Amino acid sequence: MDTGNPQEKRENISDYLWDGSGEPDPEVQGLEALLGRFQHTRPAHIFPAIAPQPRGAWIPWRIRWVPMLMTTAAAVIIVAVTTFSLRSNKSTPVNLAGWGVSVVEGMPQLDLGTVSSQKSPRLVVGQALQTDQASRASLRAADVGQIDVEANTRLRLLTMGAGLQRIALDRGTIHARIWAPPGQFVVDTPSALTVDLGCIYTLHVDDSGAGLVRTSMGWVGFTLNGHESFIPAGAACATRPKIGPGTPYFEDASPKLQMALARLDFEDRTPQQRATDVTIILGESRKRDALSLWHLLARVDAADRLKVYDRLQKIAPSPAGVNREGILRLDQPMLDRWWNELGFDDISTWRRWEHSWPEATPGRTR
Amino acid sequence: MPEISEDASLVGAAQRGDRAAFGALYQRYARMVHGVLLARVPVGDVDDLVHDVFLIALKRLSALHEARSFGPWLAAIARNLASDYYRRSVPEDQLSDDESAVDAASRQSSAPNTSAEVLEAVRGLPEAYRETMILRLVEGMTGPEIAARTGLTHGSVRVNLYRGMQQLRARLSPMSNRTAEQETP
Repeated sequence: MDTGNPQEKRENISDYLWDGSGEPDPEVQGLEALLGRFQHTRPAHIFPAIAPQPRGAWIPWRIRWVPMLMTTAAAVIIVAVTTFSLRSNKSTPVNLAGWGVSVVEGMPQLDLGTVSSQKSPRLVVGQALQTDQASRASLRAADVGQIDVEANTRLRLLTMGAGLQRIALDRGTIHARIWAPPGQFVVDTPSALTVDLGCIYTLHVDDSGAGLVRTSMGWVGFTLNGHESFIPAGAACATRPKIGPGTPYFEDASPKLQMALARLDFEDRTPQQRATDVTIILGESRKRDALSLWHLLARVDAADRLKVYDRLQKIAPSPAGVNREGILRLDQPMLDRWWNELGFDDISTWRRWEHSWPEATPGRTR
Repeated sequence: MPEISEDASLVGAAQRGDRAAFGALYQRYARMVHGVLLARVPVGDVDDLVHDVFLIALKRLSALHEARSFGPWLAAIARNLASDYYRRSVPEDQLSDDESAVDAASRQSSAPNTSAEVLEAVRGLPEAYRETMILRLVEGMTGPEIAARTGLTHGSVRVNLYRGMQQLRARLSPMSNRTAEQETP
């Protein structure tokens, strides 16, 4: 989908490089011809027979071995506790994992010292990186991505490994370029959890804890207390402490629509105010503002939901199997099917992430 | 995503002991595994390691709970095996050394060193890009195939291809200049 976003256009590649279609690209063809000789050609070896794993077959086996397993587990625990006690009496072990840190400008602080004073500086779990108004830094983890840290920013590394990299952005601005699989890089902010779904984005958190994410490529999920927003390339989304993520919008949407969304998400108190802003949003919405309208379905009351449904149906008709009654009662599979029809990205990526990390999205609503 | 559901069916069948289903998974994923390994270990050892990856997968298949994640899971096994390869044998930084770069297969090239030099230039790219570039340029997989097999999104594959190509051009241009200079009388 062409979002019209200049950054995305710069990152565009030829159809031939992408999927071999379109006009052949002589440069790519030349590389293919040179490198094709290293291609996989060997047929499969004969693999040994697979022992089937019938359901429930493990139960008697486990019962038979319970005493031995318990003894082994007890021995492992004793050894682990002893080792831990011995190690904790020594100096703190050096954690070689973490993100490599480099100075871009000034003197960023890594925990208690400056980055530049350390040999091979790394941000490890539990540590904080802080920049002042005159310093900037860059973080890099080979399998995850790169984060450029702007001035006046403080972030902490919460988790690293086991398929989840988690950073807390307390304040300031980061530009993230993530190449880890979708859903593995998560940023905690005071007002929402930002989940990378394969992309490049900028995240800003101000001193009040309010946040703004702007996606340049791919898409980002924003979630807090079960509220969730999906922000594709070219779109932005604000968050507020205690409220969570607002409604995402394309940055080229009309200013009237953007202002009405901001009021609806964070300011409107009365049904009258909300109805007025819904009317403005629907009146200003173009085809690609289906992004905002789809999110609004679950954020407005029943009367306004019907209006949003009618407008969304006009600008981005729902696919087969999705009907008005289902949408009005916020039937999740129908909503997901309609989202997939909008052409942003497949929502199953997000649902798989939710399934993998249920503790991050308790009691989800949109 | 019909292909992923097909994978899930094949994985389910293989977990129940269906060897033909595992063979179909091999056919579908061997190029990806080969590419992941080729991005990391010497050419001459890649084929054997591909076999090892599938043997490990076969042994651990019953532990794979999310059948739809077969591709990313298999890629992780391949990456781990490549790391083990260096722990067992030579330091990883030798991957970029000339000695390992021009391995036996490359020495037999009809255009001496050219293919090997280009392959080494690709293998010298940042880790995130070199794997995607090898899957595209060596294994002949399309962007959507790479995304489907590895679990990356289309957007990430696009980024990797775009930036990988940019960096590869920069690495290869001094090489072409040098060749041109040598050819100039």
